[in-house]
Amino acid sequence: MHMRHISKSFGATQALDDVSLSIYPGEVHALIGENGAGKSTLIKVMTGIHQPDQGEILLDGRPLQIRNSAAAQDHGIAAIYQEPVIFPDLNVAENIFISHRDRGAIVRWGRMHKDAATILAKLDVKLDVRMPARGLTLAAQQAVEIAKAISLKVRVLVMDEPTSSLSAHEVAQLFKLISTLRNQGVAILFIGHRLEEVLEIADRVTILRDGKWISSALRSQVTTEQVIQDMVGRQIEDFFAKSQAERGDLLMSVRGLSKENVFSDINFDVYRGEVLCFAGLIGARRTDVGLALFGVEPADAGHITFAGKEVKIHSLEQALKLGIAYATEDRHRFGLAILMSVATNITLPTLRRYLTALGLVRQSDEYATAEEYRQRLSIHAPSVKVEVGRLSGGNQQKVMLSKWLNAGPKLLILDEPTRGIDVPTKAEVHHMINALAAQGLGIILISSDLPEVLAMSDRVLVMREGRQMGLFDRKAATQEKIMTAAMGQNRPAMEAQP
Amino acid sequence: MARSATSPAGGRNLLLGAWERLKSWEGLLLGVLVVIVIINSLQAPAYLSIRNQTNLFQLFIEKIIVALIMTFILINGEIDLSVASVMGLAASTLGRLYELGVPIEAAFLIGLAVGIACGLLNGFMIAYAGLPSLVVTLAGMIGYRGLAYILLEDRFIGNYPEWFSRLGQQPLIGPFPLALVIFFVLLVGAIIVLQYSAFGRYVYVIGNSREVARYSGVKVRRVKMALFIVSGLVAALAGLLYAARLGSVRGSVAEGFELDIITMVLMGGVNMYGGAGSLYGVLLSILIILNLRNGMSLINLTGHVQTGVIGVLLILSVLAPNLARNIQATLNRRRMRHLAGTLSEAQESP
Amino acid sequence: MSALRRYFRPEQVRELVLVFLIIVLALFFGTQIRDYYTGRTFIRISTSVAIIVVVAMGETLVVLTRNIDISVGSIVGFTAYFVGTQLARHNDIAPLVAVLMAIGIGAAMGLLNGILVAYGKVPSILVTLGTLAIYRGILVNYSGAKTVVANSLPQWVINLSSMNIFSIGELDFRLLVGLALAVVVFFQLMLTYLPYGRRLYAIGCNPDAARVAGFPSQRIVLVAFVLCGALCGLAGFMYLARFSNITVVAAQGMEMSVLAAVVVGGVSIFGGSGTVIGALLGATMIGLLEQSLIRWLVISEFWRRALLGLLILLAVEGDAAIMNRLRKLWARSELQMAPKQENQ
Repeated sequence: MHMRHISKSFGATQALDDVSLSIYPGEVHALIGENGAGKSTLIKVMTGIHQPDQGEILLDGRPLQIRNSAAAQDHGIAAIYQEPVIFPDLNVAENIFISHRDRGAIVRWGRMHKDAATILAKLDVKLDVRMPARGLTLAAQQAVEIAKAISLKVRVLVMDEPTSSLSAHEVAQLFKLISTLRNQGVAILFIGHRLEEVLEIADRVTILRDGKWISSALRSQVTTEQVIQDMVGRQIEDFFAKSQAERGDLLMSVRGLSKENVFSDINFDVYRGEVLCFAGLIGARRTDVGLALFGVEPADAGHITFAGKEVKIHSLEQALKLGIAYATEDRHRFGLAILMSVATNITLPTLRRYLTALGLVRQSDEYATAEEYRQRLSIHAPSVKVEVGRLSGGNQQKVMLSKWLNAGPKLLILDEPTRGIDVPTKAEVHHMINALAAQGLGIILISSDLPEVLAMSDRVLVMREGRQMGLFDRKAATQEKIMTAAMGQNRPAMEAQP
Repeated sequence: MARSATSPAGGRNLLLGAWERLKSWEGLLLGVLVVIVIINSLQAPAYLSIRNQTNLFQLFIEKIIVALIMTFILINGEIDLSVASVMGLAASTLGRLYELGVPIEAAFLIGLAVGIACGLLNGFMIAYAGLPSLVVTLAGMIGYRGLAYILLEDRFIGNYPEWFSRLGQQPLIGPFPLALVIFFVLLVGAIIVLQYSAFGRYVYVIGNSREVARYSGVKVRRVKMALFIVSGLVAALAGLLYAARLGSVRGSVAEGFELDIITMVLMGGVNMYGGAGSLYGVLLSILIILNLRNGMSLINLTGHVQTGVIGVLLILSVLAPNLARNIQATLNRRRMRHLAGTLSEAQESP
Repeated sequence: MSALRRYFRPEQVRELVLVFLIIVLALFFGTQIRDYYTGRTFIRISTSVAIIVVVAMGETLVVLTRNIDISVGSIVGFTAYFVGTQLARHNDIAPLVAVLMAIGIGAAMGLLNGILVAYGKVPSILVTLGTLAIYRGILVNYSGAKTVVANSLPQWVINLSSMNIFSIGELDFRLLVGLALAVVVFFQLMLTYLPYGRRLYAIGCNPDAARVAGFPSQRIVLVAFVLCGALCGLAGFMYLARFSNITVVAAQGMEMSVLAAVVVGGVSIFGGSGTVIGALLGATMIGLLEQSLIRWLVISEFWRRALLGLLILLAVEGDAAIMNRLRKLWARSELQMAPKQENQ
């Protein structure tokens, strides 16, 4: 299967730019790239969920139009996602065969159970085919999905981060499955973020960066260092850089913060006037740490000292009272009520300040506050009474920041504040972060954008799958070091001294 | 090119369209209302007299009162199908207690308490147990009605003290009886709370997105709980007023009222999925339903047929915005495709 | 133990409990009501259950897809009345034509529900709340406040309800009961052996996965509503055969018995799980209760509705809690077994 010169854009963002890729039978082809490099979009083009703007897909040398997922299935292309797509109330065998349209007009249960058992046996998976899929472990569900793909006579199997929720033991089993498939002549496109794993299983490696094709090579011809180099190989744009601010007093120190099955043993200090970056890849659980500090999903163990006092944060109200604010990465789901006005959104967490004795909202005060932020952050909106949904992404981001700045936080947690916004606005956001730090706020910046991390941070904490992999000083941090830690290549011994 | 640079142009158009549709929706309602009133006036000359209009209000006053709180609940993104059964249960409780010799005042208060209890159960199941309100209140609609039947079986309980019966019928202030006065007080209160208070603000934001509200420190569960409790209380009050107006109670009191009530609110432009709508639209739609029902009576349509017409309105008031959105989306998609086409041509030409 | 768990899912536990309850109820009423164990009681209960069961089958299909149809009572009433008047007017209509007419009218009404839900994207509860009123309104308008009376109907319709297919000792199985059993068997087979039946479960338990798998979800939902309407039509005909005298309020409130049968029978109101057997048992229990209570306390229609209401309330609200707990218990025991499997 060849994909030639594929391009795809969503609005102003170019998700894929002239990407070409060839997948051969009996080969595991690994696709590697940072978050947002365009891997997922490429898969969606392959499986017919998106149509490419340009470029063509060839299968056996013949050009192919994949209109929808059913068409992809007919051509023998199947995908397995991070979260398995199963029907919990149907049994294992049925989940394997539910998409089949060639098994006759009548479901023959006996034969189906036998066939399912045969396929599972071929994969060396031990599962009771009569058991409902509800309650199967993630690994077992994935095995069911793979069995389903095989039963559909799959020729090209796309696996999108299949290992991210599996334990080491389960990963080993999955890899055994993949080897079996490879030996049966299936072409596999494997997307992963644990470099050691990916390199272990891959026969061929392609690297994407910012929607562009960077390199393709046989596994035997590349080294880990080369791969990391290719993934990050970007110049740090110089228009955003953290101005050196005086580091103030200790604001918060976190020791041994843990949450069962999510993250464990996170330790760091944040000082006033400091930007601490959380770096890592998808699934590193950085957001979960942020949410724990904000009290939305409280941690179950660990000590937090905030402004000199030992505290326990188990609710959002408490975090707000302490002066912790969290600006989410997912503006639409958690950040802004898009049908409501700019002013309503800005004053939402602090609405109590705008109430009269009777509990009514003093709208003039509310508008005044919103107007102040509109000018200070230069939010491009005709008025603060306009619905937030009508602003551009960058301006929405500024509204969300205003909302939390208005709460007067001491510690501001920013989760991917520049994702999906244009370059000038990005620079504005960075300036603002600088200004806030200069005012003595402690800032935790969660970012997957490595140049941004290096430019903005005073210190960088790198996480991988809920574990803290290292804490680097600004001077000591390089893209390669951070990526190495984030991919779990080795556990760097060097810990920055505060 | 300049257009495509602002990426959410499509989304913006959509929202703009939503706003304009809402504006034109209320305009449409007003138009429909005027037409109905004119037709009715032609049928019956004294139609527009204050007396007749007051009577009209009085005939449906209980439904209208409940529609006010239902507006809050639908804006909040939930639904309460159990209101009519709560009305019936409260009225039946009153009847049964009175039959047992409890003073009517105490029975009245206990009736209200029963409404609050129903609201508590609904609210708990929805806000804290996390079940969908559609399922919980559907079960409530059937279950509370069942309780009402247990209380009264097939008896009529009447012969209340005179002052109680007059409560529902006799003019209290000017030509307006108590129920109408209560309605106006509640209406003003509802407008103030919904449009100007912090609580109303939270109702909208939660309807917009429960998660956004939660991440902004809004106590989502408490707001939902409060709404359902008030809904139970208001429904009970309406049920008791209904009992006073009818002068007698039986288990089937207010059966099927939820259809009118929900139609009033949804036809008023309140979004089925929450987050948008206003009491002004609901007020317009209430007036339409009142006048329409009255007009249908004027041309001798039976109750069942009238209810059928309301059913059509209910479906239309959800279907119409859906269709409008579909058409808008198709147009947008076509425009985007056109834009993409011209873009790729522009790229290929040099 | 694991084998036991394998064959006794939480759903089956519930069905066994239902069977047990039905037996207990029958024994209880036997001690309370004189001459309870007679052929007549059996006929009365089984015929009543037969009509509920047919509608409950249709409701089950709809509920499996995470929807609900509360307009069933109106469809049954409409078809019963309409076919009744046609038969009264034209006594020479062939029996098969009459049945097909009932099924066709029901299916058309279901089609309207289905189109509005699947393609109009209006929540099913609102659609059917509306059509519940609309269909009844049309019927009242059409009837001109007249009633279908038994002596205007052709003789074969009236004989239908007393026709036996076979007897076991004193127990007579009426034709209507046989018809209902045939419907149950047919839908049991359909839901287990036809791909369409399995897809009903699939889209109910995970609509997103159904979309990824490329199922025509809209069409599947539409067909479920049409089938439900058709079954209501059939039930309407059975209703006509059983009662012969049909007023415009025929089968009003029947949605309550049907919903009660379905939810008590363990068809999840959240879609995706439930069986035909469960619905049959649910209907049996409801029918048994309804018919026996009338004879025991000579209680009114109102007690019947009260009981149904409370049963639904309990089944829905209590069930969500109990079944979740059972499922968790099952899931936990599977987790404990998992390491053992790995060692094999």
